[in-house]
Amino acid sequence: MIGFIILVVFIGVILVALSAIIQPKLADSIILFMGVGLGSVVLFFIFKAPDVALTEAVIGAGISSLIFLMALKHLKAAS
Amino acid sequence: MSIKRTLPTSVLSGFALSGVFILTILKLLLQNTPQEMQRAGDSLLTLNANEGVANAVTTVVVYFRGFDTLGEIAVLFIAALGIGLMLSENKRCTIKAQSNFMLHTGAKLLFPIIALYGVYVMTYGHLSPGGGFQGGVIVASGVLLLLISHRDFEVPHSFIVTLETFAGVSYVLIGLIGLFTLDVFLGNFLPHDIRDMGILLSGGIIPIIYIIVGIKVGSEMSMIVQNLIKRGDDV
Amino acid sequence: MFEYLNQPEVIKYIVTIGSMTLLFIGLFGLLTQKHLIKIFISIATMETAIFLFFIGNMFHKDLFAPIITEGFTNVAQMNDPIPQAMILTAIVIGMAVLALGVSMTIEYFKLTGNTEIDKMNEMRH
Repeated sequence: MIGFIILVVFIGVILVALSAIIQPKLADSIILFMGVGLGSVVLFFIFKAPDVALTEAVIGAGISSLIFLMALKHLKAAS
Repeated sequence: MSIKRTLPTSVLSGFALSGVFILTILKLLLQNTPQEMQRAGDSLLTLNANEGVANAVTTVVVYFRGFDTLGEIAVLFIAALGIGLMLSENKRCTIKAQSNFMLHTGAKLLFPIIALYGVYVMTYGHLSPGGGFQGGVIVASGVLLLLISHRDFEVPHSFIVTLETFAGVSYVLIGLIGLFTLDVFLGNFLPHDIRDMGILLSGGIIPIIYIIVGIKVGSEMSMIVQNLIKRGDDV
Repeated sequence: MFEYLNQPEVIKYIVTIGSMTLLFIGLFGLLTQKHLIKIFISIATMETAIFLFFIGNMFHKDLFAPIITEGFTNVAQMNDPIPQAMILTAIVIGMAVLALGVSMTIEYFKLTGNTEIDKMNEMRH
């Protein structure tokens, strides 16, 4: 059962990452990058590494994506 | 999709060639992966039981590889310094819209809970998953919530500078005290009984150092976030 | 099919192929995109792929997390704590470098007004 779950989550993360790079608008790209971080948190939890999962959830899917969004506001590309 | 219009043929053939290269690398990786990976942490896990700390990853980060954590704090400090120097000063507030009533009240209700959760994760880092880095960034994200919802809120500059200086200096001071009493930089000079494993006051200097790391990381991330919001707009 | 996918060799194949695919997707984005922020997103995706490769190769379904609690005190059956400590440091440093790069992009945009790497040719005269 675990192998099947790992395969499904990996395929999901790869599809979301491919979609994040191809998108023409920048705001969609940043939100999909947040999805890559979320999928990797689930994978870290399945691989029995709780400290790494907590750090990636707080930093990767939290502060890192918010820094990109604040830069987007200054670059006036979201208007 | 706009990809096919902009790529010339030479780039596409370059990708095909690199595809062959990728398959060769994958074949080599998959053939030479040993079935039983050698583990470097077996001896460390047995040594960890002597320190009286329940979380093995905390012991590795703070005690066995404590000097690397000092270097990582230095890298974070240089990054915060660079961001603060590069973004120019701006006297006007850059958030133009007045936030509505629900966001205003909700942020005032949520910020104490987020800060309490961050301090909990920071303090219980040696008993359950967590630690200084995670707790510090949680507190910084609470400060970010307050910065977005209130237009005139600003963390005073001298307060953050005092916190950061105190945390950085006391990290090195604790290491030097360990050097003078035990001949080891960052040695464990407080009592760490193995029968105390699982209660809050255990493990010697390990929870103290992680709290200091959490204070420093939290104040630095708050400074980075505040600089990115309040500065750097031209209009 | 579920029993076939639960074997350790197959799980190692899945982890290696999956994380290497993510790495090369990030490399594709780094080489072909024009906007500076998208280049930074591709670099961050490549870093995430490397962290998954590191932690995924240490997986075995009989081990448990490296924390000593009430019912789990057998030290010989714990996961390895050293790669987790290294990846923790790497995640924080990657985020700090990304923040510095993004602030450099903002300053460059205020100076010249463009964010495409095709039009950055001030040093070509």
